[in-house]
Amino acid sequence: MEENRLILSHVNIPLEEIDFLQDISFTIEENSMTAILGANGCGKTTLLRAICNQIPFTGQCEWNNISLQNCSARELSRLLSYIPQRSGITISMSVLDVVLMGFNPVLKLLETPSKLQKEAASKALSMVGLTDFISRDYLTLSEGEKQLCILARTLVTHTKLWLLDEPDSSLDFHNRYHMLSLIKQMMHQSDACALLCLHDPGLALNFCDQLILLKEHHVAAILHPRTDPLPLMEKSLSAIYGSVTLKQITDNKRNVHLVLLSEQLP
Amino acid sequence: MKKKLWNNQHLYICVIATLLAFLTSILVGKYPITPAALMAGDQMAIRVFLTLRLPRALIGLLGGFGLGIAGFVYQTVFRNPLAAPDIIGVSSGASVGAAFSILFISQTVLPVTLCSFLGGLTAVCLALILSSIAPGKKQETLVLAGIVVHSLAQTLLMFLKLMADPEKELASIEYWIMGSLGSVTLSRIPWNMILICLTTFCLLLLYRQILLLSVEEEEAKTLGVPTGQLRILVLLLSTLQVASIISITGLISFVGLLAPHIARLLTKRNRKSTFLLSGFLGAFLLLIADILAKGIATTELPVSIFTSLLGAPFLVYLIVSGRRQK
Repeated sequence: MEENRLILSHVNIPLEEIDFLQDISFTIEENSMTAILGANGCGKTTLLRAICNQIPFTGQCEWNNISLQNCSARELSRLLSYIPQRSGITISMSVLDVVLMGFNPVLKLLETPSKLQKEAASKALSMVGLTDFISRDYLTLSEGEKQLCILARTLVTHTKLWLLDEPDSSLDFHNRYHMLSLIKQMMHQSDACALLCLHDPGLALNFCDQLILLKEHHVAAILHPRTDPLPLMEKSLSAIYGSVTLKQITDNKRNVHLVLLSEQLP
Repeated sequence: MKKKLWNNQHLYICVIATLLAFLTSILVGKYPITPAALMAGDQMAIRVFLTLRLPRALIGLLGGFGLGIAGFVYQTVFRNPLAAPDIIGVSSGASVGAAFSILFISQTVLPVTLCSFLGGLTAVCLALILSSIAPGKKQETLVLAGIVVHSLAQTLLMFLKLMADPEKELASIEYWIMGSLGSVTLSRIPWNMILICLTTFCLLLLYRQILLLSVEEEEAKTLGVPTGQLRILVLLLSTLQVASIISITGLISFVGLLAPHIARLLTKRNRKSTFLLSGFLGAFLLLIADILAKGIATTELPVSIFTSLLGAPFLVYLIVSGRRQK
């Protein structure tokens, strides 16, 4: 079986008549999580949207030797899942119906979800901890619960490439770790890979295998938190977040964490 | 489980109420018909029943059902609680078609039906074409294009009215715009009935896709929904449905707007049974309005008076009480 791999080479994304992102090249290996980091408005979301073919760009973007630019919406939906910052569900429907939407790529036009698929959907909901919400109206959920519900929808798709745009932005401390562990677990279970935009570099350092740092329309650095030396990472992160200190800390259970501290305290 | 039963209870009650209204509608009218007379083989009663009452009640039933379904589809696809067939110009297009026929072709039933049908379809196609030329977000441009077509059609209608002979033609145009089930006869309805049934059936089959269309464009695309084609398909189907109804009856206001709202207020959510409930509520509303239209005065009254009379206070209630969502 061939390896699942996303390769971007020399991608330029024009936006409002300038090349908003220039010469973006990186590779995402299977079983891995990659985070895109950068200041607000540096183009994290734009990059994700380009990969899932929603804005035009030049250069190569290949998934297992398939050029994603040439795929139809339906083909694309079978290859990758995209979680936007905020889901665009604007009319009331049940949480279960929202999750069942995840099966659309494999259903025919007039087909309705099978009993098996409904069971898979409720299993996904229990994985994200929303079992009690199954028949609730999606619109009445809190923002964090909505994000968990959309994650459940992504869980049922069985796609091998996940693009997640700040999937944790409305989650509390516990759920943030729970969601990222869940994603990591899914990646390993199904040989998939994930590309995430994250605001919190601390989370990215501990959960992701690769960090892509964007600054001034370019890739400023690509870091590998597991292998790169701390001083090097500290220097690269300081370039986008202002001067920071990177420390290794051991918790009570002897897990080693990377902790990023901003030096901008009063 | 209990909750599920209760949800469907609305549907059952509404189906029974609609059937009762349907039977009442058959019995109410100028010529008195009783079940006993029909049984006894009263020739006149049977003729009135077959050629007038039954077709009229059927159109009330199917037309109302279709308008309720179409209203639900429009509101879902446009993600707008006030969306109605007017929003992409089908009603005003049909009015222009009818007025055109009354002025230049014939005031008889068949040409008016055909022209209003074509008018409605033309308006929608125009709106779809206009919005497909424009780049960018389809949803908003489609609504805008619809408004453009709508006002264009209104202007045309005004011209046609100016040209009309106030004694006869203008009156017919006005009467058509007010809508009535009074001119429904057996010979007029078979094709339209087939169309209404067919489109309703297709829309019911497409329910899952219609729900997917309510999700924002980009997200729907990543779920593998061919949003562009699907939206056109669904809108054409629902427009075909509306056009085949109002080309027989003339404009009927408020049914398409109200039925989905009441359905959602009752069931408190969107699901397939809400979709069906919306159709039955539409049928109930139209049948009741029609019974009042033919029963309340010695002359036939336009049905829109009663759909509006029943509908307007409810809309005010909706606005005042603040839309239920959130």
